[in-house]
Parts: sequence; C-alpha cells; structure tokens
Amino acid sequence: MSDALGTEFVGRKGPYFWLSLKTGLLTILTLGFYRFWMKTRLRRYMWSAIRPGGHPMEYLGTPLEKLLGFLVAVVFLAFYIGIVNLILMFASFSLFAGNGAAYALSFIGILPIIFFAQYRARRYILARTRWRGIRFGLEPGAWGYAWRAALHWLATIATLGLLLPRQVFYLEKYRADRTFFGDKRLHQGGDWKILYPAMTHMMIGAIFGAGSLAVGSTSHEAFLFLLPVFGLWFGYGFVHFRVQTLRLLTSHKTLGGIALKAEPRTASVMKIYGVGYTLVYTVVGGLLFALFILLFASIMTMIGSAGALDETFDVELIQSMTDTPVWITTVLTIMLYFTVFLMWNVLSQVFIGLPLTAHYAQTLSVLNPQALTAIRQRPRDEFAEAEGFAEALDVGAAI
Amino acid sequence: MTLIHVGGDTSEPQVFGDLLDGERALPQRVEVTLTASHLTLTPGEGASQDWPLSQLRSQPDQAHPSDLMLSLAGDPVTRLVVRDREMVRKIEAAAKSLGKRPPTQNTGRLLGWSVAAVASVALIIFVLVPAMANQLATFLPPSGEKALGDTTFEQIRNALDDSGFDPVPICESTAGSAALAKMEARLTENLDLPYPLTVRVLDHSMINAFALPGGYVVFFDGLLDVAQDPDEIAGVFAHEIGHVVARDPSRMALRSAGSNGVLGLLFGDFAGGAVVLFLAERLIQANYSQTAEMNADIFASETLEKAGISPLGLAQMFERFRELGGTTPDLLEHFMAHPDLMSRIERAEASASAAPFTPSLTDVEWQALKTICD
Repeated sequence: MSDALGTEFVGRKGPYFWLSLKTGLLTILTLGFYRFWMKTRLRRYMWSAIRPGGHPMEYLGTPLEKLLGFLVAVVFLAFYIGIVNLILMFASFSLFAGNGAAYALSFIGILPIIFFAQYRARRYILARTRWRGIRFGLEPGAWGYAWRAALHWLATIATLGLLLPRQVFYLEKYRADRTFFGDKRLHQGGDWKILYPAMTHMMIGAIFGAGSLAVGSTSHEAFLFLLPVFGLWFGYGFVHFRVQTLRLLTSHKTLGGIALKAEPRTASVMKIYGVGYTLVYTVVGGLLFALFILLFASIMTMIGSAGALDETFDVELIQSMTDTPVWITTVLTIMLYFTVFLMWNVLSQVFIGLPLTAHYAQTLSVLNPQALTAIRQRPRDEFAEAEGFAEALDVGAAI
Repeated sequence: MTLIHVGGDTSEPQVFGDLLDGERALPQRVEVTLTASHLTLTPGEGASQDWPLSQLRSQPDQAHPSDLMLSLAGDPVTRLVVRDREMVRKIEAAAKSLGKRPPTQNTGRLLGWSVAAVASVALIIFVLVPAMANQLATFLPPSGEKALGDTTFEQIRNALDDSGFDPVPICESTAGSAALAKMEARLTENLDLPYPLTVRVLDHSMINAFALPGGYVVFFDGLLDVAQDPDEIAGVFAHEIGHVVARDPSRMALRSAGSNGVLGLLFGDFAGGAVVLFLAERLIQANYSQTAEMNADIFASETLEKAGISPLGLAQMFERFRELGGTTPDLLEHFMAHPDLMSRIERAEASASAAPFTPSLTDVEWQALKTICD
C-alpha cells in the first residue's frame, strides 16, 4: 500500500443531466412529492462517483424514510409555524404598524430550529453513507449544536465578522468530533486562528469598500467608482475563505491514525463558478428567447393566415387575439415558470454542483491508509426522522 | 487490468472482484466465476461462497459507466464490485432480478404519520388559524390595520402586473375621483366607520372589486367598463364597505399569514413555491368567505337604502357577473370569492322596497367615473 490514497471522480455531465432532468420533471409533475426520490437518486449517483482509493462511496438512504421523516416534521412544525406566524403578524402590525418586525422575528424564532435541523440532516446523511462497506455516523447532539451556533452567530455579528473564523472552526469541531467512520472517532485538530489568513481578501474588500464609500459619500465622489471593485474583491474573498477554510479544516482532521489532506484551489472554484453560471444563464436565457420567438412566430402565422383568407387586417383582429386567451396565457406562464425553474436547477446541478464536487473530491487524499485495517463496522443508526426537519424548513436541502 | 492465466488449459481468463464484508474496511480480492445458477466468490485463502443468481441485486444510479456493484437480497451490508466488462455483461444477462428492490418496510407507520400530518395541517388551516384570526382581528388597532392594508395593496398591485416591470397604475383623473368621492360620501354619511376609507381604482381589465384591511376599497377598471349604471357600482361599493366594517380583510390577512407558512412547509421549495402557494391559498380563501359575503350583501342593501340609492343596482351587477361568468372562461375568476350569485340577486331584488330613490351619480359624473383611467 502506498502512503496516500488519492480520490477519483467518475461522475459525468451527460448521465447526471438526464438523471436530474428526469427526476426534476417527475418532481414538478407530482407537485413536489417525488422530491424524496429525486434527492435519493441524485445522492446515490454523486456518492458513487466519489472514489477515494478507487472504492466508491455508497449512499443508502431511501426515499420512503425521507417521506416518513418529512411527515413527522410536518406534524410538529405545522403547529409551530402556523400559530407562531399568525401571532407574530398580529403583534407586528399592532405594535409596529408594519410587517418587517414580523418577518425579522419569525426568522429569528426559526433560526435555532434551522441549526437543529441542519445537524439532524447531517446525522442522517452520515448514517446512510458508507465507504469500503463501513458506515459513517454522527452522535446525537442537535440541541447542543443549535444553541452553540446561535451564540457563535451573535458573537460574529457583534464583532462585525472578526470572530467568523472562530465560529467556523468551533462549529466544525463540534460536528467533526462527533463524527465516526466505523468504530473510530474523527478528530478536528488545529486552532481557530489558523483560519485568519484565509480571511485576508474578504477583509481587504470590506475595509477598502467601506473606506471608499465613506470618502466617496462625504468628499471625493470619484471614490465611489472603487466600490464595485472592492465589492467584487469581497466576493472573491468570500469564495476564497470558504475554499481555504475547508482545506485547512479537512487537512487537520485525523481518525485513528489516518489523516486527511485536502488541496482545493480558490482559482479552480472561481473558474467553475464563472464558467458554470455563464453556461446556466446562457442556456436558460436562450431557452426563454426561443420560446418567445416561437410564441411571436405563431401569432404572426395566425395574422398571416387571416390575411391570406382575405379577411380584413384590422385592429380588432389583434385585439381579439390579445384579449381572448387569458387562461391560455396563464397556463403558458405557469408552464414557462416551471420550465425555467427546472432547467435552472438541472443546469446548475450539472455545470456547478458536479464540477465542484469533482474538484473537492479529486484534491482529497487519505494519508496513512494502513490504519484502515483496524477499523470495524459500527451499528446502523435507525433514525426514523431522517432529515425531515431540514426538508420541511428547506435548509440543507441541497443534495 | 492484468489478466492472469492460471495453467494452460483454462480458456476463460480469471476475473477478480472486490468483496466488502461490511465488517472491516478492507476489500477482499476474490475470484469471480459464473455458473448456471450461482456466482462463486473464491478468496485467496479461506472458503468460497456461492451467491444464487436469483438473489443477486445491483445498486441503482451508479456513476461508474461499467462497474457493477452487487449485493445479495436480504443482506444490507455485503457488497461485491465487479469491474471486468465481459463478466459484468455476462452477469447482467444471467441474473434476472438485478433491478428488484427490497419490499417496502414500515408501511403502517408511513400511513399513520401521513394521516397525522394531513389531520394536523387540516386542523391548523381550517380550524385553529381561522378561529385565532377571527379573534385577533378584532383586537388589531386601526393604525395596525391601515399598515396591513398598505402593505397588502402594494403586494397586489405588483402581483397583478402583466408587464413584469411596474405595479398596476392607480387611476385618478380629477373629475372621476370627484365622482367617486361623491358616491363615497353618500354611502358613508350614516355610517360609523373605525377609520376613513381609502378608495382606489386600478387600471386592470379584471371585472372585480375587493376590500383590504384598514378601510381599503379597490375597484378594477374592468368593473367600471362593464357597469351600465352608477347604482351598480354603488352596490358593489356598499358591499365592499360591508367587508370593511366586518373587518373581513383583516381576518383574511391574518389567516393567510398563518396558513401560508404551513402550506410553504408542505410544498417545500420544489418550484420556488410561489405560484403553487398563491393558487392553493386562493382556493382556501374562496371557500372561507361564504358567510362573510352574505353578511356584506345584507349590509350593502341596508346601506344603499339608507343612502337613498336603489339596491337593484347591486342585483344588476350580480346579474352581470353571472352573465360574464357564464361566457368568459377566466381562470382567475374561479379563484375570486363569489359564491352562489343567484341567491344574492334574489335577496337584493327582494329588499328593494318602494322607497324613493335617486341615482347615485348624475350622467356627467358617471361618464367621468367610467373614464377615470383614460
């Protein structure tokens, strides 16, 4: 055995496109019911495409357990959301004469539940993931995660983002230290301050952006032109932070003598985003344009054929065409909406989701794989609720 | 893959696969041979095992174009990965039930929770939320209702817009607005309203009018176009004031705040949610306002009589709604809350007593109102 196992990625855009198109279409036709099947199938594909040391990951979640978990979550959340929303709306309009307060309060009220749901979703996904036949797992601890996440967010906001690395590190450490592969526990090493260098570009963007806004709005208006530059710089810095924290955190993870090494590159991720979004916008835009042309052409043909029949070409004819089919245009609009929505989802899965996963997979290696010999299976975590809360709240819903 | 020939007499090359026993993280290299009824896995040392072909299952949705990941029916952990294309082809031809899925488990629990979920959502949307909305609406201070109305009005203007750029414009020609103000003054003369009315005409072809929280009464230009007599508009106007006085719009707004959240929960984000939410919500509301509509009609005929305006205008307007409803398949009209128009026509006609009536507007004023959007 060599000293490091590299990771292959065998997913391809063609098959993944058809799979997500097919399942996405079924989801729309079933008013969202098929989404549990869609998510399961897309995950099975994506997991099996990632092959550390040549052995595919395996996803074993089932659609029906997701549906069950969702139903359980609906029973509990429906009360909470229905009643709480109504009371908040009432309170907000009685006390503040506006709905801003209601939305803000309702969002803040739901935040701990969102953190809770995210942890539970991760537990479900890890419990249904295997590699070399061995299960991953995550210890229960969702409420502990929820209040920690809420406090870390408060601290980060209070310090204008200066404590962001601390938040990212400790939340990841909380999750990682409760993660298992077989009977061995994962350990998040390192220190939160190692994440600071990754923040450099974000800081430059934020500080100089704020500076040029301050100078520009008070004395020298020309400085305002710098604002978009630093805005973009901040955007780049944000991606850089995400990629580099992932790299640093992963490379400081160990598990029973095994270590991980991640080497994702910000430039590659930026390129994937750039090319991906350009393609998605172009194709969806092109699709819209084609539909528009089609519609225009059919109207023109109708007018043309009316003219050929020697009918008088007058305003009334056009009037009758623009007036009558109200329900036709309504149906067309709804179909158009769904088509655009579907294509948007499918294409961003194929041109952004897949290449990103490929990049992160291909830059990941497992060091000292000899230690895998000592790993034994862990028992199955039944966890009937699955990711129901996350599904119902639309968080962590991406595959 | 290196092909290793053992001995000189074997015509078939040996094929190996990776066996994952689900106990240790170590793939075991086994020789894979296919017989008429079994797949035989032979490790380098130790006993070989026979997997019956009828029990072989393959994992679906796998990314690798040619690898085959096999398992045995009833065994959730053991896996065999075969990479040799020729062998994969042979196994796929020989094993007939590769695609068979394990039987559904937990059917009872699934059904139980489905019933529980439907029951709890129904309870909340149809019982709890309406009951709470009815109660809370009476406690809303007028300033709060006004704010709610302002917000909703802008949302509706944006939602009804066809062009996708600007909210639907408000019509306010000087003479038209004056005529509308006169009608308002006549109708509200004898009324004790919690707040002054805000009357608006929207430049939209829909044949309808509606009330919003905080005293909003909104007409669509389409309604003004089809009306042939000012008393018809006065009738609709009085009807909408009836909703305002009963605080129906505030109930509706509070109610939709509650039920919207729950519906959002159910449909998830499978299509941005917005369109489905809007339609589902409309259906619920149309069902909800039956009693409220009836009460508004009774209020309207009384108010019209007090103001010295013939309630027959209301009846004519309903007649017109019915005629139009019969001829234009306007999808949206089904969603607008207007239950059994016939009985309302009859009630309005019955209530038109022999009292002396004056038209709600003069001919000049009526023409000004009809052209308020021009």
